Amino acid sequence: MNTYVVETRQLTKRYGEHAAVKNLSLNVERGEVFGFLGHNGAGKTTTIHMLTTLLKPTSGTALVCGKSVTEQSLEARRHIGYVPENVRLYDTMTARANLLFFARLSGVEYPDRRIDETLDFLECRDLAPRLVGSFSKGLRQRIGLAQAILHRPDVLFLDEPTSGLDPMGIKTLRDLIVRLNREFGTTIFMNTHLISEISRTCTSIGVLNQGELVFRDTIEKVTERYGSESSLEELYLSVTPVQAKGAA
Amino acid sequence: MRNLVQPVLTIAVKDIRDALKDRFIILMTAFLLLASLVALAVAAIALKVDVATYAEAKAGLIALGKDASTIPDPAFYPLKLLRGFVEHVEIIGAIIGILIGYRAAASERGRQTLALIVTRPISQWQFLAGKVLAGTAIISSGLILAFVIAGIAVIAISGIVLNPEDIGRLAIVMSAAGLYALAFFLLGFVTALWAKKLPNALLLAFTVWLSFVLIAPQIGDTLDPDNQVAGGVFKQLQIAKPQQVEILQSFSTYETIRNGIEVASPTKHFERLSFAVLGIKDTYAGQPLMPILAEKTSDMIWLLAIALALALLLFARRLDPNRLSKE
Amino acid sequence: MGNAAANAPIRLLVAQSLSTIARERTVALLALLFLVLVVVAAYLGWSATSTVNAIYLRSVDYMTAQGQTIPSNPVLDTSPLALLRNMATYVSLIGALAAIVVGHQLIASDRKAGTMPLLGTRPMRGIDLGTAKALALVIAIAALVAFAAFINTATFLVLPEFRLDGAGWTKLAAFYATSGLYLLVFGFLGMWFGAAAKSETVGLLIPVTVWLTLTFVLPQITSNINPVAALNPVSALADAPASAFFQVTGWALGPFSLAEAYRVISAQLLDFMPPTYVDRAAIPAAASLLIAAAGVGTIATRAVARMDMTKGDYDA
Repeated sequence: MNTYVVETRQLTKRYGEHAAVKNLSLNVERGEVFGFLGHNGAGKTTTIHMLTTLLKPTSGTALVCGKSVTEQSLEARRHIGYVPENVRLYDTMTARANLLFFARLSGVEYPDRRIDETLDFLECRDLAPRLVGSFSKGLRQRIGLAQAILHRPDVLFLDEPTSGLDPMGIKTLRDLIVRLNREFGTTIFMNTHLISEISRTCTSIGVLNQGELVFRDTIEKVTERYGSESSLEELYLSVTPVQAKGAA
Repeated sequence: MRNLVQPVLTIAVKDIRDALKDRFIILMTAFLLLASLVALAVAAIALKVDVATYAEAKAGLIALGKDASTIPDPAFYPLKLLRGFVEHVEIIGAIIGILIGYRAAASERGRQTLALIVTRPISQWQFLAGKVLAGTAIISSGLILAFVIAGIAVIAISGIVLNPEDIGRLAIVMSAAGLYALAFFLLGFVTALWAKKLPNALLLAFTVWLSFVLIAPQIGDTLDPDNQVAGGVFKQLQIAKPQQVEILQSFSTYETIRNGIEVASPTKHFERLSFAVLGIKDTYAGQPLMPILAEKTSDMIWLLAIALALALLLFARRLDPNRLSKE
Repeated sequence: MGNAAANAPIRLLVAQSLSTIARERTVALLALLFLVLVVVAAYLGWSATSTVNAIYLRSVDYMTAQGQTIPSNPVLDTSPLALLRNMATYVSLIGALAAIVVGHQLIASDRKAGTMPLLGTRPMRGIDLGTAKALALVIAIAALVAFAAFINTATFLVLPEFRLDGAGWTKLAAFYATSGLYLLVFGFLGMWFGAAAKSETVGLLIPVTVWLTLTFVLPQITSNINPVAALNPVSALADAPASAFFQVTGWALGPFSLAEAYRVISAQLLDFMPPTYVDRAAIPAAASLLIAAAGVGTIATRAVARMDMTKGDYDA
């Protein structure tokens, strides 16, 4: 049986002459917490947009849980949850009303019960009756995460999940991601440009540079080979030379 | 003095450059010009039809051996062709005013640059004056362009060169149009500066526009008993003008209310002034300019007062720092 | 069963969209203004008719004293339905603008909420979203028209001097159906550009420009040559000058002159058609409206279905 939750072959997205993602061939196994690392503009968000069926690839294929994101997009969507960077919800509705709407759209059978379970899991049931518009970024991120896991997806895509959060918010979110992976077996596909996040949360890593995959391995092997977090940083800079020069 | 004026000019010049890059303002101005040209072309064709009908009727009478002087000669005043143009200025000119005013505030709020400007060592009035100056300059250039094109079109259509007095009449109407559009500029600017949510400001300004430009004159026009019966009630009853006045005297309260609704609209003041100065309204056609201006002073004062009141409102209120951001 | 399941997201989206726009203050403001004007329209009709009647009675005194023959009372020559003739103007002015805003907000509320990526990753098709928004618009417009119809019906019931017979009520119902169809054209325009435009302001201004063109510019060529005549339901239907030019433009542009098409149908249904009016359009007015509503509706639905779901929110 195919254990890959995400499989891409020669996946490419072009905007005119510019290729945002070039010939990306990448597999992510069931149960992994995959960290997708790269500079700003490296093509990480474009990749997530293609994998979540929001954007049509120019060429190549992408399967999520064995379903093509182009030909079987509806089927693929049943298996995915997505939390965009700076997730936003309907501000004039309560957290529960927002979750109820998205649970029903995802075809959840007993939405009220599922919402309670999810909010309990995320330790934020008290937020349910409050208007989302009144939430801080951290709380909004938590309800954003709730909407993405209501239907218990096989794979959860997170785009820069800790962006703009304070240190406490980052820690809470990191813990939730790890628990989600352990308790529900949800595969996590996470975009980030923070090396510290990768080393503390992920089980495997891929590095994207100017639209091309330049590195892919498990964290275990990377740590074996390179040791500490600062060495991981050196590895990252060595595989993304152009941007690093520009930054210097 | 230089220190007072310099920031105003700097803001005005920057704002004019910004506005010229705004495709929608250019597009709406082009739309006004196009609509005006359509109006002029249509007026010209309608005029030709009138002339042809007159010639035909005259020839018919002569062929029958009757006196052709019994049918009135269609008096021709080239400026009368501008009726449709003036009406487009009333409607679209006001919208352009609102858009320029909205853009003047939205360009700063959308980019969140207002905070950067007001934290410089300049007073609030200098910032606002710079914006109003820019708005006035943009509106004036648009109107000058529109009136010059309209003037040329009138000459081309009628084949009659406008005399200095005609040009003077055009200039008066253009100034009134400037004042009229400025009032709507201030409306757009004030709402966009103060509204909690920017696009709501545009809708609010449009609602005011709809109420004062279209609905108030519409109610006034509809309540006019003469507009209730096709061709006019008195015409249908075949009652002569002096008796009409006598009969209508018993309806003076009704007429006062009707007129009151109409004069609530700046559009009606602009229309009354323009139609009189350009001789579009038959009673003023061919009349000398000065008595017309004397009679229409109140309309000019109204236009000025509305613009001034809005300007006072703008300068009197402090900018709210909480409204500086996009949302 | 399968069909019901497939329709579930559409029903859900329709309900969510309607509850969101019901909370929009701008929508409420314009809808309220429209409904106030519906009442005003009835009052104006009544007041103007009563005044004309009073003028007639005064004139009769005068004419009797002069020994003139007394013509018939023009008020008696008009149908009670003509009392509502101003409705035609208000529907084409504020009604159309309100419809544009409703159509626009149906899309803008989701785009501005930033929830497009969340909607785009749910198991439903893009066309489901388009269909749901189109249905929500139809329901919203129907509600607006139903309110207006309710107010007007009440007006007829409280004014005993204006009695309607069976045919009159049928014509009134047909007038509301036509008004709904006309408003849908503008609602769909608002929806189309609400979805297709990158900036919210442009998304609002393009439909407003189309509305200006249809209401004030095209009728200049196809009927009354004076743009402001559009404000008066009777003078808006003055015949164009008798010239070959207007014959041709009226025939060719008439089908696109939707405001005029709507006025023509309204004048026929509410019995205020000036006897001099000649409809020169190549196709019947009702066909113009139907084609426009269906055409713009299809385009708008497709525009929503094809929206970029990765970001959604407007540029500044």
